[in-house]
Amino acid sequence: MSTPELVTITVDEVEVQVPKGLGLVESAAMAGVEIPVFCYEPRIGPPIGACRMCLVEVEGQGKLQAGCTLTAQDGMVVRTAQTSEKAADGQESTLEFILVNHPLDCPVCDKGGECPLQDLTFRYGPGNTRMTFPKRTFDKPIPISPLIALDRERCILCYRCTRFSGEVSEDGQLIARNRGAQSVIATFEDEPYRGRFTGNVIELCPVGALTSTPYRFEARPWEIQNVPSVCGMCPVGCNISATTREGKVKRVLSRNHPEVDGGWLCDKGRFAYGHLQAADRLVDPLRRAAPRYEELSWDEALEEAERLIRTAGSRIVTALSGSETVELAYALGKLLRQGLGAHSAVLPEPVGHSFDAFRAPLSAIRSAQLVVVLGDEPVAERAPIVELWIKAARREGAEIVHASSGTPELETRLREAERAVLIVSGDDGGLATTAGLDRDGCAAFRLPKTANGRGVADAWAAAADEEPENPEPIGLLIVSGDEAAADPNVRAMAEQAETVIAIGMFRRLVAPWADLILPGTSYLERDGTYVNLEGRLQRIRRASIPPAPDELAVLSRLAARFEVEISPYPSQVFDEVSAICYGGVPYGEVGEQAGLPPRVPASQVRGSDPGTGPEATAEGPGLRLVTYRPLFSGPAVERIPELQFQRPGPEVELARDDAQRLGIASGQTVYVRSNGTSLELRARLSRELAPGVVRIPDEHAAGLEGRVEVSG
Amino acid sequence: MAAELTVLNGARERDLTKLDEYRTIGGYGQLERARGMAPEAVIETITNAKLRGRGGAGFAMGRKMSLVPPPDKRRSPAYVVANADESEPGAFKDREIMRTAPHRFVEGCLIAAHGIQSRNVFIYIRGEYLTEYEVLSRAVEEARAAGIFDDCDVVVHRGAGAYICGEESALLDSLEGKRGQPRPRPPFPPVTGLYGGPTLVNNVQTIASVPAIFELGVEEYTRIGPESAPGTVVYSLSGNVNKPGNYELPLGTTLRELIFEHGHGVAEGRALKAIIPGGSSVPVFTPNQLDVPLDFDSVQAAGSFLGSAAIIVVDDRACMVQLGLRAEKFYMHESCGKCTPCREGTRWLVQLLERIETGDGSQRDLDLLRDVCDRILGKSLCALGDFAVYCVASYVDKFYDEFKRHVEEGGCPYGGESSLDGVVAPSDQHTHSPVASPVPA
Repeated sequence: MSTPELVTITVDEVEVQVPKGLGLVESAAMAGVEIPVFCYEPRIGPPIGACRMCLVEVEGQGKLQAGCTLTAQDGMVVRTAQTSEKAADGQESTLEFILVNHPLDCPVCDKGGECPLQDLTFRYGPGNTRMTFPKRTFDKPIPISPLIALDRERCILCYRCTRFSGEVSEDGQLIARNRGAQSVIATFEDEPYRGRFTGNVIELCPVGALTSTPYRFEARPWEIQNVPSVCGMCPVGCNISATTREGKVKRVLSRNHPEVDGGWLCDKGRFAYGHLQAADRLVDPLRRAAPRYEELSWDEALEEAERLIRTAGSRIVTALSGSETVELAYALGKLLRQGLGAHSAVLPEPVGHSFDAFRAPLSAIRSAQLVVVLGDEPVAERAPIVELWIKAARREGAEIVHASSGTPELETRLREAERAVLIVSGDDGGLATTAGLDRDGCAAFRLPKTANGRGVADAWAAAADEEPENPEPIGLLIVSGDEAAADPNVRAMAEQAETVIAIGMFRRLVAPWADLILPGTSYLERDGTYVNLEGRLQRIRRASIPPAPDELAVLSRLAARFEVEISPYPSQVFDEVSAICYGGVPYGEVGEQAGLPPRVPASQVRGSDPGTGPEATAEGPGLRLVTYRPLFSGPAVERIPELQFQRPGPEVELARDDAQRLGIASGQTVYVRSNGTSLELRARLSRELAPGVVRIPDEHAAGLEGRVEVSG
Repeated sequence: MAAELTVLNGARERDLTKLDEYRTIGGYGQLERARGMAPEAVIETITNAKLRGRGGAGFAMGRKMSLVPPPDKRRSPAYVVANADESEPGAFKDREIMRTAPHRFVEGCLIAAHGIQSRNVFIYIRGEYLTEYEVLSRAVEEARAAGIFDDCDVVVHRGAGAYICGEESALLDSLEGKRGQPRPRPPFPPVTGLYGGPTLVNNVQTIASVPAIFELGVEEYTRIGPESAPGTVVYSLSGNVNKPGNYELPLGTTLRELIFEHGHGVAEGRALKAIIPGGSSVPVFTPNQLDVPLDFDSVQAAGSFLGSAAIIVVDDRACMVQLGLRAEKFYMHESCGKCTPCREGTRWLVQLLERIETGDGSQRDLDLLRDVCDRILGKSLCALGDFAVYCVASYVDKFYDEFKRHVEEGGCPYGGESSLDGVVAPSDQHTHSPVASPVPA
């Protein structure tokens, strides 16, 4: 890339050199001058110049100009409110007009104390009001969804929310209605604002017009702490701030990592924190004493765990969730593998390292010319933010191609495009390699199913080298984490196993089949590291104190009984793992905004790739069934009442061609049959789905398999 | 008095809505002539004719055309968009042009399209103009069937009833199917317009003036009216005047000639109180300004704007506070709601004017009224904010004593006798616009 041409501009008598065409707001910032804004937000598209907060005087222009819509040109001389009376008057006018109908209910407003309108009024606004008429009023608050409340009186109509909905998430559900002073924000046809990314509008709102219902009246900004961490709900690993008050997580905000999440969060990551307070949260260790459970002290629990482990010896199998930290997975591995020679594990998913050769930040998707999405599972259900990067790429002119599997033609196109990106939710069949995506400007991403499946696999492998010998029968099954506990395959193993120890958060998931239950913790309650789908190692931090002891501390005490040394401190455990598989990076250097390790040349990629190809489905009549785990599902989501409306309905997605051939219209009730099972589902037509494939959320596909018949 | 008509020529004598009739007076002959010329030469001709936009801003059409990048420098197709969203109170010229000489307008569109080498013409017509829409659509279909379009296409699109969509960038958003709100500029439409492509946006009358330039030739055409801005304009004369109507006259005709010769003077022999020279948005003139020639530069030099050449005559029955309130209610109702000063300021002005008119106002309210005008002026995203205060501020400035009497005498000095009859339509048509009315249930 060529270096951009530099131009010299003067802002408030400070001369500064900036790249030509840089926005004036950013250019002024480089000169150390603030141009205040409300509606300006470069992440949601081009500036609209609506709020008029950024009015500045530009030499040679008679009228005040909206700074947000200007770009730096050589020789430009700009005066802001600091040095221009005219600009100061303009800004004061804007604030006066904004406040004319603003309710000024700051004392009871959730935004109070962290409100740009409050802050800018304090700095630039008039100190008094000349408005002596009744203010405009509206019904309030309006629940535009179970998650978001809208206060139209506080709204300053900056259109950030409607622009996000229209131009970033592209759901088009938030709109402005009416005109002039009667303009209001609304949802289209007053339907609930449903979508994967709705909560972002709460953060974008520069006033208290869009507030989070779960956070409403929960805390004031001066009595909270924001803990910088990383979301543990999916393999993207969005950077978050967990807001805590009195030791409890009260909300989750984005902590913009420009390479990973661009400052956006999905609603699962934003609103799932309520699972920490779930009614069936496990607090004390439990031992099965049929027909019920008895509470144990921790000493008794360790005693019992030791007994079960010693009894089973090496006939232990460990089922992992992919939500453990690297440190926890390593500690488990070290205890069981080094201490007992129990090498057998059920990893949450097959993970390979071959894509490390095509590694790039997720943000690289946005600048691609060609994006090929391979596999039948919807990207947004596995790694929601990736979907936003793909949408951004399309808005920038990229072509997006969806395909079930690779073809020679796709390979050619990927090879010939200057900037090509491959996104794979299953097996790429070697496409990334044959298309040469390790060249500059190209990249390939594999979307795992679990948040830290990669890190867990790394850590488990780092704990020992021996090959597992799968014990038959299983003496002891250790189930680590709620996702593993919810997995039907793990449940089936538990039925066969002689004894079961489960570590988890929720009683309903592990009772009544586990013999010993140890309370677990959430990613919001742990310190440690996660590896995201890019292969980026990120720090997660304990935001709130768990109701039970830290799992690593428990494992450390348990390991001592087997004379295995495990530090109770994640930093020390990490250093051990890092020396083996992360190049010895010290814990302290993982950082709050983690960098991406360089690409690994294909010849040096660690280990073999397990291959995660789609299960071969016999050819035959009917359509090929693809089931997937929806984003809004899983143990945490199930425990948040406000998220229930986001869960997918009983729908079947059909490709347009198939629907047309079968005479099925969108919204119609259809019957889906296979192997004697027949389900009644609502049809939805999809543009992305390959012909010959139907797609159903797994929770609505019970009993269906392989190929299915669909009829109206 | 010049007899030359260039826009409505023949429309009173013949039914020019019919293609055959239009052809008998040489219709579409100028298109043929223009198509025989190089596109650059078409632009040059319009430039040399010094044709200035009749929609309000008076921007030279030839210059606007030359700002459209040539085909080899375009990244997307170019468009001609005719602004037929005539909505300024007092203006009704475009409606007459489209109803009586639609083919001349279409011919102008096609000449302009040839000039900027575009194959797509969109006509955005005000939604309330139903008859005009039907007449124009029939003319377009007739011309299409006759093969006149060649490789060009003309689409007539109806607006949905928003004044703001007469603002060119809001018009483009509306045409694209979005909420009609102005865009920040630059970039201007000739560079980035409809669907991001280079777009020539011109008013109906401007475009309908184009065929005459080719018919008369530049030399002949520029003999009409003042040198700086030659040609004719259709003045929409309304208000308290004996013979209201559209009068096509050379630019530079004086107010006195228009009102007293063509309009036969003030109705019922009443005294002239004020003249609005360019549609309800512009600063008002007083009777001592009757000799101002009605062309762009002269009106501006006299402190107002020719705008859309809509002249509203106000007689001595009118209370200027009421007139201001009426105008401001219109702008409040039509403010699109995008930028802060216009959205919030117009409502506040209405509240202040209501208070002054009902006699509850104080000197502080009057001072505030004037100050709020200044706080809106020059700070809004598009010109609507300025329009909303040009008028009211000029009423306060030029009729300050009348405003002051409202404050000092605790009410309207007309004692209920004042009348805006014939000047403007009543404001209760804005039904869905609760003004200062307090809390909706």
